[in-house]
Amino acid sequence: MRQTGGVLDSFQATAERLRTLNRVMTTKAAIAQTPKELVWTLNKAKLYRYAPMTEAEKRHAIPLLLIFAIMNRPSILDLRPGHSFVEFMLRQGYDVYLLDWGVPGLEDRHMKLDDYAVEYLPRAIRKVKTVSGAEEFSLLGWCIGAILTTIYAAMLPDEGLRNLLLLTAPLDFSNRNGLTFAKWVDERYFDVDKVLEAFGNMPAEMIDYGAKALKPVENYLSSYYKLWDNLDDPRVVESWHAMNTWVTDNIPMAGAAYRQLIVELYRKNKLINNQLVVRGGVVDLSRIRANLLTVIAEGDHITPPCQSATILTKVSSRDKELYRIHGGHIGIMAGSAAARTTWPHIDRWLGARSR
Amino acid sequence: MSDGQEKGSKAFDPMETFRGMRDAYLDAMAKTMVEAVNTEAYAQATGAMLEGTLAVTAPFREAMEKSLANTLQQLSLPSRQEVAALAERFTNIEMRLDDMDAKLDRIEAILCGEEEGEPLGEGSEDAAASLAEGAVQSPAAAGGPQARRKAVRRRRMRQRSAGNTRK
Repeated sequence: MRQTGGVLDSFQATAERLRTLNRVMTTKAAIAQTPKELVWTLNKAKLYRYAPMTEAEKRHAIPLLLIFAIMNRPSILDLRPGHSFVEFMLRQGYDVYLLDWGVPGLEDRHMKLDDYAVEYLPRAIRKVKTVSGAEEFSLLGWCIGAILTTIYAAMLPDEGLRNLLLLTAPLDFSNRNGLTFAKWVDERYFDVDKVLEAFGNMPAEMIDYGAKALKPVENYLSSYYKLWDNLDDPRVVESWHAMNTWVTDNIPMAGAAYRQLIVELYRKNKLINNQLVVRGGVVDLSRIRANLLTVIAEGDHITPPCQSATILTKVSSRDKELYRIHGGHIGIMAGSAAARTTWPHIDRWLGARSR
Repeated sequence: MSDGQEKGSKAFDPMETFRGMRDAYLDAMAKTMVEAVNTEAYAQATGAMLEGTLAVTAPFREAMEKSLANTLQQLSLPSRQEVAALAERFTNIEMRLDDMDAKLDRIEAILCGEEEGEPLGEGSEDAAASLAEGAVQSPAAAGGPQARRKAVRRRRMRQRSAGNTRK
């Protein structure tokens, strides 16, 4: 009798696990839930201001603008309630803004990095200043967002940028042996013009495949095994669900910007060598004077550490810091350890420079 | 069942051994695959596959685009390219509106400064000059101090509250 009960319990537990598996594989988690207000739009770009979580007198004077990559949703910065970088920064008293680049359509296929960095970004910053009433601001750029913020900081150094935070910034492409992507997009094997002629923009599926194929076993197998092993642990399941919702919601990349990324950065490494020309002007990194924090993920396979360290020797900033942290490209900001490691370090660094 | 027996039965979980073997295999496979995708041969193979796919699908894609364009023309409907061109024009108009919004912000800031009895600094003269030239600058570049911005916000709030009262 006891044995029959045990078998029934076992069946019920398995059925429950399968229900959980079905739910997380077929539904989307509620991500990006922190209350925010739309304060500016231009084409597909949207600027949001998050509702403050601290009293006015306890808030930092310098607003913080978050810039994420142009081929992923910025919701990773506000992943889920209780585990959100945005929420954390709001609780520390920052006036937080987020620039969402939106999803480019066929009409945006001619948009270059130039357009993002010195056309859209300055306009969004103007709005941040107007809304916040502050003359100065902080910029946090992550991944391709770090390329855009670096270009902005070099091209418009006198517009009030006080603090520049670069997270896993792909800026230096000189170490070709260390960059798997650089091999894949080598001009001998990859005809970027042919791809863009066929699709206009770089399709989200191709970008997603490129990112996942760097670590195929982890992304296509281990991730699901890890979920299966932890289906009884709601904490792991909800975290996986939120991350999977973000990972599977990809967007295409504007054709001209993608071409620039491949040809001028991956192949010719123009940015770090002060050779990149944006709107007729050379992007001279020595013009960057803002306080600089560069965060490097030691286990980053998308932007290996060698791509982000060189910037410190190129800028004129007196106050600059390199912060290395154990973790991956996304994990350092959205992983379970982020709230104990990366976020508090960013807060300590930025808080001291936002008075 | 005693604690000792419970611990013993946990240690006897056959799935744990299977999981250990599976994880060890996946780790080894992961390392091998990372090395494999980081080779010139892999880059060459994926490049050739992509090239082949594009070459094979190109004639079909072109034929479909032509046929679709003809159909849409017959139905007096705009093609995708035409809609995209229209969207580009809308974006340009949006940009111009944003430029005008920036200029209005600065004019408002200057006027509010006058209204509030604040002395107009050198920056405001620069701002006026740049406005006349039609240049787009940030409010900071126009030299508007924080107090002036606050005055603008106060005025806007007054206008909003007046609007709400009217409603």
